Amino acid sequence: MDDPSQTARRVVIGFGDAANLPEADDLPTESMPLNMGPSHPAMHGTVRMVLEVEGEKIRSVDVQIGYLHRCFEKEAENATWTQIFPYTDRLNYVSPMLNNVGYALAVEKLLDIDKKIPERAQFIRVIVGEISRITDHLTCLAASAMELAAFTVFFYLMKAREWLWELLEELSGARLTHSYVRIGGVVADLTDDFCPKLRDILRRCRASIADADKMLTSNRIFRDRMDGIGIITRDDALGWGLTGPVGRSTGLAYDVRKDHPYLVYDRFDFDVPVGSKGDNFDRYAVRLEEMRQSMRILEQAMELLPAGPVLIDDARVALPPKREVYNTIESMIAHFKLIMDGIVVPPGEIYSFTEGGNGELGFYIVSNGTGQPWKCRVRPPCFANLAVLNKLLPRLFIADLVPTFGMINMIGGECDR
Amino acid sequence: MADERQAPSAPRANVKMVIDGQACEFPAGLTILEACQRVGSKVPFFCWHPGLSAPAVCRQCLVEIKGFPKPVPSCYTPVADRMEVVTGSPKVLDVRRQMLEFTLLNHPIDCPICDKAGECMLQKHYFDWDARVARNDGGKVRKAKVVDVGRHIVLDQERCILCSRCIRVCNEVARQPDLVMAFRGDRQLLTTAPGQRLDNPYSLNTVDVCPVGALTAKDFRFSMRAWELWATPSVCPGCATGCNIEIHASRNLIRRLVPRLNSAVNKYWMCDDGRLTYKHVADNRLAAPTVAGAPARWDAALAEAARLLGQARDKSPATLGMVLSAQMINEDLFAFSRLATECLRTDRVYLAGSPEGWCDNILVSADKNPNTTGAKLIGGPTLRTAADLQRDIEGRVVTALLLVGEPDALGPLESLQTLVAVSSHQNPPVAAAQVALPLAMWAEVDGSFTNRQGKVQRLYSAIAPAGQARPGWETAVRLARALGAAWTYGEAKQVFGDVCAKVTLMSRADWGKPEMPVQLRFANSRG
Amino acid sequence: MAKIILDRLAQQFVAGEILETGSQHGNEWARVAPAHWRAVAQFLRDDPVTALNMFIDLTCVDRLGRTPRFDVVLHLYSVDNKHRVRLLAGVPEEDPSIDSVVSLWPGANWFEREAFDLYGVRFAGHPDLRRILMYPEFVGHPLRKDFPKEGRQPLLRRLPGSVD
Repeated sequence: MDDPSQTARRVVIGFGDAANLPEADDLPTESMPLNMGPSHPAMHGTVRMVLEVEGEKIRSVDVQIGYLHRCFEKEAENATWTQIFPYTDRLNYVSPMLNNVGYALAVEKLLDIDKKIPERAQFIRVIVGEISRITDHLTCLAASAMELAAFTVFFYLMKAREWLWELLEELSGARLTHSYVRIGGVVADLTDDFCPKLRDILRRCRASIADADKMLTSNRIFRDRMDGIGIITRDDALGWGLTGPVGRSTGLAYDVRKDHPYLVYDRFDFDVPVGSKGDNFDRYAVRLEEMRQSMRILEQAMELLPAGPVLIDDARVALPPKREVYNTIESMIAHFKLIMDGIVVPPGEIYSFTEGGNGELGFYIVSNGTGQPWKCRVRPPCFANLAVLNKLLPRLFIADLVPTFGMINMIGGECDR
Repeated sequence: MADERQAPSAPRANVKMVIDGQACEFPAGLTILEACQRVGSKVPFFCWHPGLSAPAVCRQCLVEIKGFPKPVPSCYTPVADRMEVVTGSPKVLDVRRQMLEFTLLNHPIDCPICDKAGECMLQKHYFDWDARVARNDGGKVRKAKVVDVGRHIVLDQERCILCSRCIRVCNEVARQPDLVMAFRGDRQLLTTAPGQRLDNPYSLNTVDVCPVGALTAKDFRFSMRAWELWATPSVCPGCATGCNIEIHASRNLIRRLVPRLNSAVNKYWMCDDGRLTYKHVADNRLAAPTVAGAPARWDAALAEAARLLGQARDKSPATLGMVLSAQMINEDLFAFSRLATECLRTDRVYLAGSPEGWCDNILVSADKNPNTTGAKLIGGPTLRTAADLQRDIEGRVVTALLLVGEPDALGPLESLQTLVAVSSHQNPPVAAAQVALPLAMWAEVDGSFTNRQGKVQRLYSAIAPAGQARPGWETAVRLARALGAAWTYGEAKQVFGDVCAKVTLMSRADWGKPEMPVQLRFANSRG
Repeated sequence: MAKIILDRLAQQFVAGEILETGSQHGNEWARVAPAHWRAVAQFLRDDPVTALNMFIDLTCVDRLGRTPRFDVVLHLYSVDNKHRVRLLAGVPEEDPSIDSVVSLWPGANWFEREAFDLYGVRFAGHPDLRRILMYPEFVGHPLRKDFPKEGRQPLLRRLPGSVD
């Protein structure tokens, strides 16, 4: 009988090749079902992985989702168009502005007012969207680093995220669940000192991200755990519909902001980081660099931000100002009909897509001509991204599962809706 | 929406014209507005109503006709050969906006407290056709806000847009000219005619036709918002006319009844008494079966009822009688008649009902029961009257009675040895009964009434039966089973099928498709 | 925008296979006869002109009141040509089944499971068609229009002292 300690010394944790050592396969083992249950510190967003393991190696996995299913679509079918915004906040709840914006764009296209959104509102949407993207990536990297025992990185990045959320709280009233965007623009203008505060926060965020970079990118332990693990190929990305940092880490250079610019993204000068190997480290590096690029966009947007209204001036779409509502019957009626009946969207269908924190966030909306949607589907990017784990995880170690899953950045609210 | 015009006796040539670029053909005599409605061109209006005359006062329906110098009111102008009508040109849209601006100029900002909000035509047309910001900065003309004009109606003169629909309802439908316009210009207001009150028996129709919340029903005022109501089609149980209605209910309570168009029965109208019959559905209901006056479970009460009836039948079926009510639906009547013949083996079936009342030659029948015709057709020629029942009880010919429905004025029933009641309300006979089984009422069941014209009209269930009440035919089936028969009715539709098979005059009646209640919200403003 | 896709479809397939095409709000769409669903999808993926090789989304729409009742909707994208298309196929209520496209795009696996879970449409050839968002003992297909928004499911356990 082999000496177990002998075998243990020759199996190095972290390198994918080592998992194929013949010795590892010769060990007399039985497969054991292991439940990484929905309630698990590493399963953020509540997902259940029923693993079949032989020793440390995963033989098969059944990724079970649905624990955070809150019936977004069913609720959306029974709510007016504007009432859906709080539901969209709670989809990808670490980048809620991006969901708000994606949904608003879809409905505006159906209403044929997408070209009439005031320019300032478009800039503001880009600004808050990019802030949300930064918070999404900060959360992902922080949580993943913490799971690899890099607690300091977690605290540094969480602190940075908190500065951003504080700023958005000043703007919209809530840290996470902003409901800031409306059909036709945004609900209120930026606060007076928004831009100076944002500049200061970006300066400090840059420092935090630089610190995290220094602590992780050339860290031997971190690299051992991330390099070469969870490799996804470009063909995988196409076949599985992987977009966002996960898709781009494979070398698939697809970013909705560059390829199909919307809002005012075509006016900004920014790069889209693309990986080469498609492993966990590439996903980490892509996200890190994307944050820096988002900050570039933010600086430019603040420079170019024009003056003007922030909500379209159409009483059939946007609520009139309260002063008008209380003092004129016309605005009272408009307010009344918009709230009670909802915006009347002409019958039609649209699939509108934007770049969410995790990839192509699509809204497939079917309208039957009333104030409520007939169908309001979210195409969740991390639903597709998470599905590829069924292919990735077998032949990895349990310990590899943690960074792989972390780098997919599955957000329960978006995946399960 | 337009009333189907009956073809006049002398054939008239059709008129060929163009509406919005579309060539079409209409019978001569149609107005342009109705023609537009038929082809789907939307034209807003306030004062026009398909059931009333068209005075063209509101000017909201103006359309352009090629070759005419000014826009014409489409509700008044008849179609003519080679006419070219445009309903959506910039000029027409502008004119529409201008008219709405005039109408809204002095309109009070009452939406939050106005009952019509949510089903208001002014809101609807402003939102669909105008949507521009107000231009008047100054004050609005003030008028009286809460004027008690009649038995059922409250008037708010500021909200009135002076369309005169209510005046025409009183003049043309009720034939009692209670309302008039007084003064002129921006001081014009709606008021009652000198010395009159708005108390004709059709006054609540003015609340229906009022496009805004100027006329409101005292009964419904401030009780429920329109968009929370769910509408179910049904038939009024007030009298034998059988006006088609919609039951508006929310949270399992009926809030109001409104008429539904039926050109052959009631057109667009119904009487006030009929509207208020909904109160009876929630009032003093028998909610649970009782045995000897104490609440009991359904199976226990049914067993006891079957035992008592079986006992009476076995002793002597000739002393066993059944009372049916002309307020019951056809399905219940049929099931109980069948019970009488097959299981109770008695031919003593009496028909009772509400006593006769006032009538007019507009809509109201003297017969205050909705289904006398149906009861007589189903009961057959051997059906006896309430007077016969009175006589038979006094003469001790009948000593056991199965009382179904809710008949009024039956006389004392204490001398009976056996009394089983299947009733909806806790009336005195129910208290005296040895077993009382709760009966679901007209608004709670799927069924049918046959009106005085012989039309079989469908009722749809709008609310759940009160307490543990069940439809009458279902109780009859269970009693039959307890008495030894093996009936297989599972739903009202099957009973209806048998009714039509048995009664020749109802053989062509149709059960129709299922109708789900429609929420008034998103169903477009009524009016 | 992506008219070339519709043109290629018209060239390759006959009227009975592609029932209708259109373009609305910048989206090109094609309605496919359900029997040819897989064939059309495969053609669009492999044809060099359309090259719709990226799987984006698969879902279902319940058009209650219309026959056939359900529409299975597939969105495809081409990263090389930067165009996309929506394919729809009408699936009847009595026998809601259509071919699976998992063999063409492995990512369709979970999306088809979701369409089955929430609408009850079965995908022939799917390796593992079971519920994904709902728990396995759930009764009914919740996103159907006649499924009530509120109700109780068999597995909900009433805690002692609860009101209803």
